[in-house]
Amino acid sequence: MRLHTTSETISFLKELEEQAAQFFESIAQKYSKNEDLWHSLAKENRKYGSQIQRTYQSVISDAIEGCFAFDLESDDHTLDAELSGNAGYGDAVAKAVAVEEKLLAFYHAAADQSMSLLADVPRNMKIVARKRTARLERLKSLG
Amino acid sequence: MALLDEPIKGTPTIKNYINGEWVDSKGELFDVVNPVKNETIARVAMSTGEEFDAAVKAAHEAYPDWRRTPAVSRARYLHRFRELLEENFEELSRVQTQEHGKSIDESRGETRRGIENVEVACGIPTMMMGDTSEDIASGIDEYLIRVPLGVFGIIGPFNFPFMIPLWSAPYAVATGNTVVIKPSEQCPISQTKLGELVDEAGFPPGVWNIVHGEKKVVNAMLDNPGIVGITFVGSTPTARDVIYPRCGASGKRVIAQAGASNMIVIMPDANVKATVPALMTSFFGNAGQRCLAGQNLIVVGEANGFYDDFMEAVTTAARQIVVGNGLDESVQMGPVKDQQKKQRILGYIESGLREGATIKLDGRKANIVGEYPDACFLGPTILENVNPNMKIVNEEIFGPTMGVMRAKNLDEAIAICNKNPYHNADSIFTSSGKYARQFQYEINCGNIGINIGIAAPMAFYPFSGMSGSFYGILHTQGKEAVRFFTESKVCIHRWL
Repeated sequence: MRLHTTSETISFLKELEEQAAQFFESIAQKYSKNEDLWHSLAKENRKYGSQIQRTYQSVISDAIEGCFAFDLESDDHTLDAELSGNAGYGDAVAKAVAVEEKLLAFYHAAADQSMSLLADVPRNMKIVARKRTARLERLKSLG
Repeated sequence: MALLDEPIKGTPTIKNYINGEWVDSKGELFDVVNPVKNETIARVAMSTGEEFDAAVKAAHEAYPDWRRTPAVSRARYLHRFRELLEENFEELSRVQTQEHGKSIDESRGETRRGIENVEVACGIPTMMMGDTSEDIASGIDEYLIRVPLGVFGIIGPFNFPFMIPLWSAPYAVATGNTVVIKPSEQCPISQTKLGELVDEAGFPPGVWNIVHGEKKVVNAMLDNPGIVGITFVGSTPTARDVIYPRCGASGKRVIAQAGASNMIVIMPDANVKATVPALMTSFFGNAGQRCLAGQNLIVVGEANGFYDDFMEAVTTAARQIVVGNGLDESVQMGPVKDQQKKQRILGYIESGLREGATIKLDGRKANIVGEYPDACFLGPTILENVNPNMKIVNEEIFGPTMGVMRAKNLDEAIAICNKNPYHNADSIFTSSGKYARQFQYEINCGNIGINIGIAAPMAFYPFSGMSGSFYGILHTQGKEAVRFFTESKVCIHRWL
């Protein structure tokens, strides 16, 4: 499905963050290793989603192109965030890395397309993307 | 994608808010219709003149104490009010969509711009400050103070039922006046929700009153000698022929913001990729029902190549606009407010075709997403071969239509803009600073966009319509609103 409006794009972004958060929590639950880290990552995911939503609500104006700000294909950004029953910790980390990479790509694509939404929305998306790049490095080091 | 919950449940009867109480009206009930489903979602009374006068009496009684309340304290009421608006941001936005039909992005944008006016009015201790001159002659000083005037009336339109009364009301009460608001009878729920938050914020009874209704209430407002001034946003005939002259005759201050037929000029050096979405918002956002909407597109240049390519890009984008229920997050354009408005818009399209325009994109039969009656829906319509003498250029359509004209050069485009009877908002899209400056300098309108499709002033700037689109001197919003809602007292003093 193509995403055009800001409302549906932000909702989609929040869904992705929630899905990723639940995935990280499931890793924490299944494996005893780095439990606190997985929980803190999940907490950050939800925080990022809320931050972007708040930014959107604080800059959206009837005068800007809120309904025409995006042209994204949601299918390109869906997450594979499920663990199979026999997956080992290394598999879980590899999947977590893939989830982060997909999220990072989504943030970059959404930021590049939303310049018309005043600078705040794309700027915050870029900030989250930067933090995400650091997270990605941490995740890769776990593997 | 998600269909958001409707906040208005059942079919409530909307009450007046007078002297801090919610009171029933004796007037006849009017159906408030959701244009998506074409069904009644509430009923609102057409209040009587006596009921309006009772609100004015309450506002008068509240005025002396409110005026004496220090500006910093009045600002704190507004701060509390603002916090409540933020807390209720989403519900307030959904109410607008449900009662008006606009998309949820547009409603949230409306909510934000309404809140911004409250934020600006929170700065009233600074904004209301006067001027002082020491020693205008030896030992004589002179200073100016701004004082409130009394009770103001505020008349809101249907197209921005939440935001537009907030162009006036926060400044009026911040400066120490009291108000009686008459919301649009077609979309009265947003102001009622806002009134609930006013009540929760704890404003003293009588400072902020709401009386629903239509002509009877407007006449009572115009006739009541206790009303010192009126702000109005609506059609040009009502502003020009009713509100402005009758306020003048009775010595009331007036801001009468009226209709528009805005022009968007496209230069051949415009950035097409960035321009097209801006045009979609300008012409088709809010289903074209706003006084800052583009109505006429003027493509500059004699070469057919640019024109053809540009119009192809515009038409392709317009054709793809998703039309449906504004509470569906994927929807980009909702219905127009009611069937009468739809018929009126259709009448203009027919008129354009009769006068020689040709149809490039036909939105008379909308392609609606979801199972909804087509009673109030229209799709985007693009008419080409329009000329500046046509009715569709010289009257306000207030619908999702784009009339396309061509001009040889910028001089000709500006002449077309300036000849139009309305002068609310015109925009130019160009990469040239020279063209942009010439446009800004020579164009005769109050709100100018340069690579902006909707030239909506922020709350700290006046909403500056000009002749044909505005009757009065000062405008709503920001410093001009503070001037409007206050009188200047100049004091010269000498101590012997």
